[in-house]
Order: sequence, then C-alpha cells, then structure tokens
Amino acid sequence: MTRENAWDDHVGAALLGTGRRTPAPLPEAPEPDGDAAGRLLDQAAVLAVGRRAGLLPHVPDDVEVLAPAPPEELPVVPAAAAQRLDGLLQAPGADPSRAEWLETAARLGLRVPPALLPAVLDLGRDGAGRPLRPVIARVAGRRGVWLALQNPRWAYLLGYTGDAPEADDIWQTGTRDQRAAHLENLRGTDPAAAREALLEVWESEPAPARAAFLATFATGLSLADAAFLEDALTDRGKDVRQHAADLLAALPGTAYGARMAERARDCLRREDDRLVTGKPDAHDDALARDGVPFQPGGTFLPGRNVGTRAGWLREILSRTPLATWPDHLGLPPERLVTLPVTDAADGPVAARRGGRSGADAEDAVHDVHVSWAQAALRQRDARWARALLAHGEASQRPEIFGELVTVLPPADRDGAAAVLARRLTDPALLCRVLHRVPGPWSGELAATVTAALAALAERPGNDDRRSFPGLCHLVETRLDPALAADAADRFADLPAPAQESRRDALVAVLRTRHAMIKELIP
Amino acid sequence: MSDAGASFGSVSERWSSEHVRGLAPDAASAKAAATVAKPAKWSGLGCDGEAVWGECQGSGQRGYQACADLTEPAYRCSCPSRKFPCKHVLGLLLLWSAGTVPEGGRAPWAAEWLDRRRERTAAAPAKPKAADPKTAERREARVAAGLDDLDRWLCDQVAQGLAATESAPYRLWDDLARRLVDAQAGALAGQVRSLAALPRRPGWPDELLTEYALLRLLTRAARRPDLPTGLRATVRSRTGFTVPQEEVLASGERVRGRWHVLGTRSSEQEQLTVRRTWLASQEGRPALLLAFAAPGRAVEPAPPTGTALDAELAFYPGAAPLRAVVAEQHGVPVPALPPGGTVADARAAFAAALAAEPWLDAWPVVLTGVHLARSADNPCAQDATGTVPLRTADFWRLAAVSGGEPVTLTGEWTPQGLTVLACHHPTEGTVIV
Repeated sequence: MTRENAWDDHVGAALLGTGRRTPAPLPEAPEPDGDAAGRLLDQAAVLAVGRRAGLLPHVPDDVEVLAPAPPEELPVVPAAAAQRLDGLLQAPGADPSRAEWLETAARLGLRVPPALLPAVLDLGRDGAGRPLRPVIARVAGRRGVWLALQNPRWAYLLGYTGDAPEADDIWQTGTRDQRAAHLENLRGTDPAAAREALLEVWESEPAPARAAFLATFATGLSLADAAFLEDALTDRGKDVRQHAADLLAALPGTAYGARMAERARDCLRREDDRLVTGKPDAHDDALARDGVPFQPGGTFLPGRNVGTRAGWLREILSRTPLATWPDHLGLPPERLVTLPVTDAADGPVAARRGGRSGADAEDAVHDVHVSWAQAALRQRDARWARALLAHGEASQRPEIFGELVTVLPPADRDGAAAVLARRLTDPALLCRVLHRVPGPWSGELAATVTAALAALAERPGNDDRRSFPGLCHLVETRLDPALAADAADRFADLPAPAQESRRDALVAVLRTRHAMIKELIP
Repeated sequence: MSDAGASFGSVSERWSSEHVRGLAPDAASAKAAATVAKPAKWSGLGCDGEAVWGECQGSGQRGYQACADLTEPAYRCSCPSRKFPCKHVLGLLLLWSAGTVPEGGRAPWAAEWLDRRRERTAAAPAKPKAADPKTAERREARVAAGLDDLDRWLCDQVAQGLAATESAPYRLWDDLARRLVDAQAGALAGQVRSLAALPRRPGWPDELLTEYALLRLLTRAARRPDLPTGLRATVRSRTGFTVPQEEVLASGERVRGRWHVLGTRSSEQEQLTVRRTWLASQEGRPALLLAFAAPGRAVEPAPPTGTALDAELAFYPGAAPLRAVVAEQHGVPVPALPPGGTVADARAAFAAALAAEPWLDAWPVVLTGVHLARSADNPCAQDATGTVPLRTADFWRLAAVSGGEPVTLTGEWTPQGLTVLACHHPTEGTVIV
C-alpha cells in the first residue's frame, strides 16, 4: 500500500469510527498505547507529518509565467515625487492634488513607478476617476499597458494608448464606450476613415449609439463632414439630431451656416452707432430641424427668464457664422462689441447700461453678447473671443466668457483673462468666470487674481466675504505652482479678519503644491 | 546603542513611506497619518541620524510634541491618543520619509526624552521573580490531567467516527476548550476552538484527522519522560508553558548576526493582537519575533520589512528553535535584500523543520530569482525547480514591480502554498504585502 493509500485508509476508518473499521497496521508507527482509536491516531500522525512535508500544494495545470514587460521609453519620476504620489493615493477622498500630480508628470513626459501602477490604474476605473483616464494613460508607461493587457479590470487603458490589440475588433465587438473611444482616436488621426467606418454601420446602430458615436465628430471636425451632418439633421433620434445641429453650428461655410445667417440678418441690424435686435416672431419646422427647439434650454435660467422669443434669438445668433457680422453690420468685431444694443420693441432708447428702461436694454446687450460668445466658443474664433473678453457684457453668463479664454492660443490666455477679470468688480462673478479658466495661471492673470483675493480678504463687506473661500479654492488649485511659494508668503502675512483659517489652509496648500512640483522637476 | 557603524543621515537610510505605514496600528491610523503629514501642520521639525522630532498643530492651544527614536525604533507623542504609534508620530515619519524634515540639532524636549530612554535601556533588566515551586507543581499536575482529558476525547471521537462531526455544533469543541482552560493548558484551548471551523470547509475529513492526529502526537509526547531537551521544550511550549523572557535572555541560545526582516503579519488571537515578525540571518537561519497587545492597543514596533539589522538574538528553547527576542541591537536597520534559495530549497527547508518539529504549520522562506506566474485568478511563483501557489490578495502589485522579471519573494511556507510577505525587485524596490 502506498503512503497516500494508507492515508485514505485512515481517513475512511476515522470517518466510520474504529468501532466499525480499523486501518492496516503501520510498521513505522510508535508502540501502541491504548485502544484501536489511539492506534489509528498514532499512525495517522506519522502519515500526516509525512504528507505535510512531502505533498506538493495543488497547482493548476495551465499556469503560465508572466511574459516580460516591454522596456520603458519614458523616464520614471524622481523618488521624492513617487513618495508624494503614494501618499496622495493613500489619502482618503478625492484630493485635487492627485490630478495635478498626474497632469504635471504627463506634461513633463514622466511615468509613475511600477509599484504604484495598480493604485493609479484603479483610480481611473470608475465614476470620479474617469476624466483622469487620458492622463493616466500617459503616465502609465509600457508597464501600465502590459498590466492592462493581463487584467481586464484595467482594460480601459488600452483605448487611450493605441495599444488595443485589434482596433478593428473593438469597433466590431467592443462595448459602446470602447467603440466610442476607438472612433474618437480615429477621428484624431484620420477623420475621413472614422466617418466611413461610422457610415457603414450607421443604419443598423440604435439611436443612443448613433448619438454617442456622432459626438466624437467634435474631434477633427471639417467641411468634409458637412454633408453627413446635414443628413443627420433628420435622424430618427432626437439626441442625434441635436448633436448634428450643434456640430454644424461649429462649422462655418456650410449650407446650415448660410440658413442661420439668413435668419440672423433679420434679427440684428445696425443704426448708426448702435445695434438693434428684433426677436423672431414665430418658430417653424425648419428652425426646429436646424437645432433650435421651441423651448430653448437657456430660457429657464434660474432667476432670469429670458423669454421664449429671446431664446430663439440667442439660439439663432449663436449658431450663425461670425463672419456674417462684419459684412452685414459694416464694422469689425472690435468695434461691434463696443456698440450699445437695444431691442426694436423698446424704441430708440440708446442706453447700454442704466437709464430708464435699463433692464430691457441690458437684456438686449446680453442677448447679443452672450450669443456671440457662444458662437466664438463653438467656432473657436480667437479674434471674436479676444474682442468679447475685452468689451463683452459678461455678467449674465460669466461661465461662457471664462471658457472663451480656451479659444485663444495658450500664450495669450493669461493676458486676455486678466483683462476680463479686471473689468469684473463683483467677486462672485469673478469666481464664476475664473472657474472656467484653465490653470496654471501665471503672468498678468496670476497678479490680477492674487490682488483681487488680497483685496477681498481685507474688505469688511459681508457679501463679498462669501466669495473668499471660493476664490481661495481656485487660487489653490490653479495658480502656477512656480508662483505658489511667493503667493503663500504674501498671503501668510495678509490680515484676513474672520477668515484666518481659510487663509492658512490656502497658504498650506500652495506650499504643498510648490513642494510637489519641485519634486517632479528636481 | 553601542557601535552605530552605519553612516547616518544619508537618503538611502530613510524608511520608505510604505515602511512607515506598516507601523500603523490599524488602517484608520494610517489614513489619519496621511492627513497629518503636511509640512504646514508642523513646526520645529528636525532630524539627525538617530531620531526625528517635531511639533504638530493639534486641536488644542499647544501643539503635540512627537518624536521617533529610529534606532530601536521607539516613539513618543504628547497627544492623548491611545493608538500607538499615534497619527502624529506616523505623520512625522511620513514627512521624514518624504525628505521634508531638515537635519538639525535636537529640540530640548526631544533630547531629554531620548537621553532618558537611553539610560533606561542601559539599566540592567529586573531580576526574574522566583516562582513558587508549589504553584508550579500544581500547574504541572493540572495540565497533565487536561492532556489526559484531551487524549480521551480524541480517541472517543475517532472511535465513534468523525462522520457526525460535519453537522456537529460548535459546543463540541467549545466544551473541551473550556475544560482545557480550566486545566491551565490555554495554548491548546485556542487550537481546539479553532478546529470548529474545519468541518465547514471542503476536504475537511483530511484536515480534521490531521489536526486530531497531531494533537494526539502532542499528548503522547507530553507523557514521555525520555524526550530530547529541545523537543521537550517544544512540547511544553505547545501545551501552554511559557518561558519567561528574562530566562531566555539569561540562558537562551545567543546568535549575533545580520538579521534580515522578511516581513510581519498581525492576527487576532484570543482577544489579543499578535504580530509575528519573521527574520532570517545572512546564513539563512530563521527567527520569529512575537509581539502581543491588548485590543485597541498597538503592538510594540518592529524593524521595517526589507531592512537588515546587526543584532544578537536570544532564542527560546525548542526542537527547531524559531522564536527569539532581540537581546542586543547594534545600529539602525538598513535596507538590504535577504539571501534565499529555490522553490525546491524552500520545500526542503520546511520538510527538514517538520522533521524536527512535527507541529509546525508555517516556516519562513526566501525565494530568490522566481518568476511570477498565474492561471486565471490563481497566482503562483515558479523557477526551474518547481511551482508554488501564492496566498496573497496583492498579486498585481507584485506583478507590476516584477514586470515579468525574476524577483525575490519572502513569505511563510505552508502546506497550502506561500503566504507572501514581501517582494523585492533589484531596480524597482520592495513591495510589502
């Protein structure tokens, strides 16, 4: 009998009980001491120790050694920076410093050390971490891709790195998100091929998929897409139609743009040195087809009812090619944005601000300037953006004006944003604008904002005080870290009655960010 | 602290943040430490080769004075927290590990504490209390009776047949465990109580018979007057007789060497937190440091995983002497890679240890130059001599660091596989599980 058979024999006897069955004697067992049960246990002990020492643990048959990871191309972050990231990853909650760390490392062309990859890749898995995916893909290095290929939990990474093993397979068999990511990548490199790929399956996809895929056309958008988008204006899916109209509104030089321009010319004219708006009287199917619903979204802005007709006006103006205006109104954009605006229905009251019917006049100027800003944003028109930032009436939709900054080349952003920031005396408005101005802030903008914050800290007014924490938060997260140490020193000495703790937190965050960036750029 | 031969203050000797987090008594403390580890919260930060100190802004008027003696290591903080080390000390160490603590002269309060500590350590250990021979005799008799009871119970179980055990209530083992506690054989009581979980697992008849047979082996061994000294000591320790630490320090086997810290594992046992710290000498001799703490209290600090310390250990007696205490430490722990062997070597080491002490269920090993491998969700380690399943929830961190290249794994070798403690890669560093 082999040892393993002998063992099974003992287990069987022990289960039944030695009253009914006894195992065969084992020569190497110690002298019997007691009854049959004692003898079984003595023998089992000899066998059990032998089994523990000699039996190999169970190993599945199909074990495969991990294939070697490809060599890295990017340098790894310095050790101190890695330790910082480790701490940020361990800390509870979603610390915005995590995103800044990752973005800075990505900008510097550095990768995270392998030991931290699982935690970093987990960050992008769901919900709050999703927006971090592209930047995670840039800092994950070849090792990150190597891990994602082996662990389906991190498969999302492959859609961002171009390492998806069979891109065509993803388009054929992937989930909707994977396919949209694939299409978005393709739009970045070969928009026409992406359009062809989508056209092939267009009829057979369900409406939500068509909408998701069409949304990727914002990348690589050109006049070559116009015919396809024009067709999509009559799609069965409501979201598809809206996406198509919004994309066409960003694309001057199309039939869509010509139709909008024709409507727009009826809505806005110049009388000498002022502009006069005329709200459309009626809504029709053609207007709806071009993406202007009967109840446009902005008409229910909280606190200020723009009105249905004004809503149509804004939609039309914001979807009209900006090139329409210098021709139609006979002045360059820099002049147009300085002209007072009135509504035709109010008669010739030439008041841009204040005055008897000030509210209506303000509405008229908002109607026009907000729409132009929206159009400049859609059409990525830097000249109009600059003009509006310098003179546009931003108080009603400050977010749009803040975002206008992104239309400008990076080098011009700080200056243009500073011009807008200096025009805004209300700190609450300033916060709403700055919220949309991407960091890092430096130069003129940094100087303007820190001055505004310093003034706010010292000001006694109660209403203004409420903006202080908001502005602190923005400065904390957006200020160029190169300026953080100086700014921290400045704020540390600032008298901030009743706001000391917020001020101290601001100083602490700025110092930490400064240290964090210095670790990344030793 | 005699010859602190290492060069102090160099960056390489700083503990990694991972080491520091490993010192936290629980996960909540580790998280709290991360929030305290911000330079803005601290003043008077400083460090030298042997200590780190600083004052942390607390909720009260005065800051908390936190200080860590890196040589032992030992920690102190003036905060009222019952956690040890508290979040302030951990935060301080995190800052230090990140390199944000400048070197400088000791703050007076820190210097005072450190000096007092040195004096206390240097003072001779208290004389062991002379045990009352009558009490000891009585206990011997009680334990012997308890072992007889256990032996009878084991034989009864096997005589009746274990089949009924599958649906037996916990009471079956609990009653016996209680009697063993009364018999002052506490070590066995815990072991018996934990058997209750076995019949709920697949393959339980093999497991249960193994455990019963090993208990029977112990009851028989305890009755034998002719056991060799080492084995006798092992049997006594497994039946619940403890050797006082003073006795170990006074007369235990002493081994001076470079002791590598393979890793630590904490577990809850009989309402105590038990932390095992596995060591191995440069020559490959293993050792185990045990530390205990009441619930809510932290276990006394252990040297960090992935370091080596020059120390003299005093071993508890035994057939395969493993448990030890640090008798004398020379200098601070320094980062070092433990020497190891193949999968086959590890298997042979465990078998040899079992031959000396058949009740062992885990043995510390170091696997050098192994490749990580897997089949679906079953992680393994493999080299030319064999494959071993890995018992770890952290496989992907190991995989990330390995990049498919050979690594050094430290862990507890068990009959079911290797419980991983740490993974070392020559360039990517150490992952502590």
